[in-house]
Amino acid sequence: MTLRTFSRVSFPAVSAALALSLALGLGVPAEAGALKGTVKLPDSARSTRLYQGYWRLENGNVPVSNTGGAKLETVVVLENVNGAHPPPARTVTVEMGGLDAHPRLVITGPGSVVEIKNTGKVRLDLSTPETPSVMPLEQLPPGATRRAKFDAVGGYAIHDSEYPHIMISVIIVDSPFFATIDEKGSFAIAGVPDGKAHLKVWTRGKWAAEEEVDTSSKEELIVKVAAPGQKEKEEKETAE
Amino acid sequence: MFLSKIWFILIALVSAVAGTFALVAPRPAVQKLAALEGQRLDRAQYAAEQMFKVDAHKWIDRVSKLGRDAILSESLDAASRGSGEYTVIHRTIQDRFRTLIPDLATGGIDVIVALDSKGRVIARVGDNEKEYGDYVGGIEVVADALRGYLSDDVWGVGGKLERVAGAPVLSKGKDRIVGAIYVGAETGPGLVERLKKNLDVDVALLLRGKVIASSRPAGELDALPEIVAQHTADIAELKRTPALPLTVGQDKLLVVAAPFPGQAGEQQAYYALLGMQPAKSDLGALLSNVSSNDLKWGNFPWVPLTAVTFAMIAIGLILQRVEVEAPLGRLRRELQKVAAGDLQKIDDGKYGGKYGGLARDVNAAVERYTHAPGARSEMAGKDLNAILGPSGGSTFDLPPAGSAFSGSTPAPAFAPPVAPAFSPAAPAFPPPPPGGFAPPPLPSFNPPPAPAFAPPSLPQPFSASGLGASISLPPAIKPAPWSEPQQLPTDALDDGAADRQMPDGEATRVVPYDQHEEEDAHFRHVFDDFVDTKRSCGEPTAGLTQAKFLQKLRDNKSTLVAKHGCRTVRFSVYVKDGKAALRATPIRE
Repeated sequence: MTLRTFSRVSFPAVSAALALSLALGLGVPAEAGALKGTVKLPDSARSTRLYQGYWRLENGNVPVSNTGGAKLETVVVLENVNGAHPPPARTVTVEMGGLDAHPRLVITGPGSVVEIKNTGKVRLDLSTPETPSVMPLEQLPPGATRRAKFDAVGGYAIHDSEYPHIMISVIIVDSPFFATIDEKGSFAIAGVPDGKAHLKVWTRGKWAAEEEVDTSSKEELIVKVAAPGQKEKEEKETAE
Repeated sequence: MFLSKIWFILIALVSAVAGTFALVAPRPAVQKLAALEGQRLDRAQYAAEQMFKVDAHKWIDRVSKLGRDAILSESLDAASRGSGEYTVIHRTIQDRFRTLIPDLATGGIDVIVALDSKGRVIARVGDNEKEYGDYVGGIEVVADALRGYLSDDVWGVGGKLERVAGAPVLSKGKDRIVGAIYVGAETGPGLVERLKKNLDVDVALLLRGKVIASSRPAGELDALPEIVAQHTADIAELKRTPALPLTVGQDKLLVVAAPFPGQAGEQQAYYALLGMQPAKSDLGALLSNVSSNDLKWGNFPWVPLTAVTFAMIAIGLILQRVEVEAPLGRLRRELQKVAAGDLQKIDDGKYGGKYGGLARDVNAAVERYTHAPGARSEMAGKDLNAILGPSGGSTFDLPPAGSAFSGSTPAPAFAPPVAPAFSPAAPAFPPPPPGGFAPPPLPSFNPPPAPAFAPPSLPQPFSASGLGASISLPPAIKPAPWSEPQQLPTDALDDGAADRQMPDGEATRVVPYDQHEEEDAHFRHVFDDFVDTKRSCGEPTAGLTQAKFLQKLRDNKSTLVAKHGCRTVRFSVYVKDGKAALRATPIRE
C-alpha cells in the first residue's frame, strides 16, 4: 500500500499561464486583445461529481466545499483563429492514484503523447470509447505506464470501464487560445487576434457548446451550455 | 319467396357479424390488457424507483448516524492529524463498527469503510476487511463526503452491483470534517427477491450486458440485455423503456427497464421488471381459454341464445310455409283440378312471383295443347322474317289441303287425349308433335274431317260417320269463354270417342273455344316467352310493351294470312345467334 498525499492542482491558473506563455512565445498580431466571457452551465453540470446518485445533502454543520472534481474539466477553446499556430507537441504525464486522475484535463498540441502511470493499487481498464482507434481498451496494472499519442485536433475522453468516474479529458488544440473557467464560469483568453473564430466549450467529457465569435468585439461573451439531453431534444424537434 | 330470401340473407349477415364480433371483440380487450399490464409495470417501476430512493436515504441516514459516533470521530480525527498509532486506530474503528453493527449480513451491508480526511482507508469491516491504508478519495461519493456532502451512488464493480452511501465524519466540536464513512449495500439476489415481493413482478438486474440477478430461472433472460440495449435512446430521455415484449419459452412477457443512478448507469446497469403479456385473441386461443365453468348455466346465456336460435328457425320455417309450401300446395291442388277437369285453367292471378309465372305457363301450355295444330307445316320453324320477307313465300310449302292429318288442322273442339292427370312423374302436357308428324289413327277414334269443323262456331254438331262413331254436341251447349269453364255432359259424347276413358278413368273434356281469346292468350304467351328468352339471352327488354308486341303480332299475322292464304298463324320463340327471335307457323285450316 502506497501512502500518497493528494496534490490538488489549480488548473485554471495552470491553463491560463500556459495560454499566456504560448501566446508570448508564438507571437500574435499587434491587434490582439483579450476575449472574455462567461459559460453558463446547467445545474447538473455545476457539480463536482460526474455521476449523481439519488441524494446529495449538506451535513448541516460544516460548510460544504464545491470546488474541484468534474468542475475542473470545463475548458473554452478557440479554433480557426487568424494567424494562430498550434502549440508544440509534448509529453504529458497523468498519474492515476486513489481512483482519480492527476491532472484530469490535458490541453496540448497535435502529436502530443499522454503518459498514464498507475500509481494506485487497483488495475485500470482505460480507453477512449468515442475514438477507440486512439486508445483501445487495455488493462493498466498497478505500477504500469501506458502511452497514447494524440495527433488530430479535437477532444478525447479517456475512461476507465470499471470506475467510470475516472476520466481524463485530452484536448488537442490548433491554437494557443483556450482557457478553463473559474467557479463562476468566467473565462479570459488573452492575446486573441481580431477576427472571426470558432469557440467551443468542453465539459464533462464532451463538447457541450460551440459558436462563431467575433474576437474584435469588446463585449463579454455569454456561452450557454444546454443540459444533457436537451440539445439532442432540440435538434430532434428541429429536424421534425 | 321474397321474404324467405331476405330472411336467409339476414341470417347470413347476422352470422357473419356475430362471427366477426366474436373474433374481433376480444382484440381491444387484449390490447387493453396489454396496455394495463404495461401501466402496471410502469407503476411498479415508479414504485421501485421510489423504493431505491428511500433505501438510499435510509443508508445515508445510517452512515450519517455512524459518523456521529464519538469514538469513530475521535479516531478519524487522530488519523487525519497523523497523531496516534495507526494500527491502533485501525483496530479501534473496526471494533467500533462491529459493536455498532454486530451483524452486517442481517442489515444487508457488504462493507463499511472509514477514511481519514485525505481519502485514505483507515478501517474496513466486511469485504476485504484486512486491507486498509489505500487511497480511494477519487471515488465520487467519498470525495463528496470529504467536501461535506451526504450522498449515495451505485457502483458496478467486479461484476456486482453495489449501492453506496457516504457521509462526512465531523470533529467532536462539529466544526470541521475529520474523515468520512461509506457503506456498501448488497445489490443482487436479495434485492431482487425483495423487489419481487413488494412489487409482485419478476425482477432482473443487468450490468454490462449481462443478467447478474433475476427472480426467473437462470438463462431465461439471456436476450433481455440486447432488447434493453436497443432502447438506450428511450432510457436517456424517459429514464426507462416503454413496455417491451419478450418471449421466454412459452411465456410472453412485457419488460420495463430503467437505469440505476450514479456511475453504474454508465456501465449499462439496469433493473428490469417483467410482467406477463395477455393471451392471444385468435380463435384457437379463445377456445383454449374457455373453461367448463364458462359454459355453465349461470355464466353463459344459454336460454336467450336458444330462444333466439329457435325463433330464427321458426321465422324461417314460417316464411317458407307462407311463401313456398302454401302456394305450391294451392297450385298443385288447382292443377289436380285441371287434370281432373274440374277447372279449365288455373287462376294465375292468385299467385305471385314465380308461382304466378308457373301458373301462367301451365295455362298457356294447356291452352296451346288444347288448340295446338296436329301437325306443323313445312313452314314451321321458319324465321318470321323469312316468312314475311320477299323470298319467304318460296319456302311456304304446306301439305295438301284435305289431308286428314294436314299439319294446319286446328285442334278439334275435343282435344286428343291428354295425360290422364297432373303427375310429376309423367308430363301432364306432352309437347305438340313435330312438324310432319302424322299421328297414327286411333282404332276407336278418327278425327273428324277438317271441313266439318268450324272453329269459330265451335262447338257445332257434326257427323263423323266416317269414323265409325257419331259425335254430336247438344245444341244447348254454347261456347264458353275460358274464364267460364263449362263441363259438357258426358252423355252427349260418343262412348268410343268423345268420352274416351283416360288411364285413371277420367274422361277427356270438351274445351270451349273462342278464337279471339285463344289468339290473345297465344299472343300473350308468345310475349311472355319472348321477354323471358330475351332476358335469358341478356338482351334488354326496356321499351318492349305487351300492347305493342301484340299489335305487331296481329299485323304480322294479317300479313301472313293475306300472303299465304292460311287461316291463322302460330308464333313461337327461339334463340337465333344468341338473340331471341320469332318463328311463324301458318295454319291453313
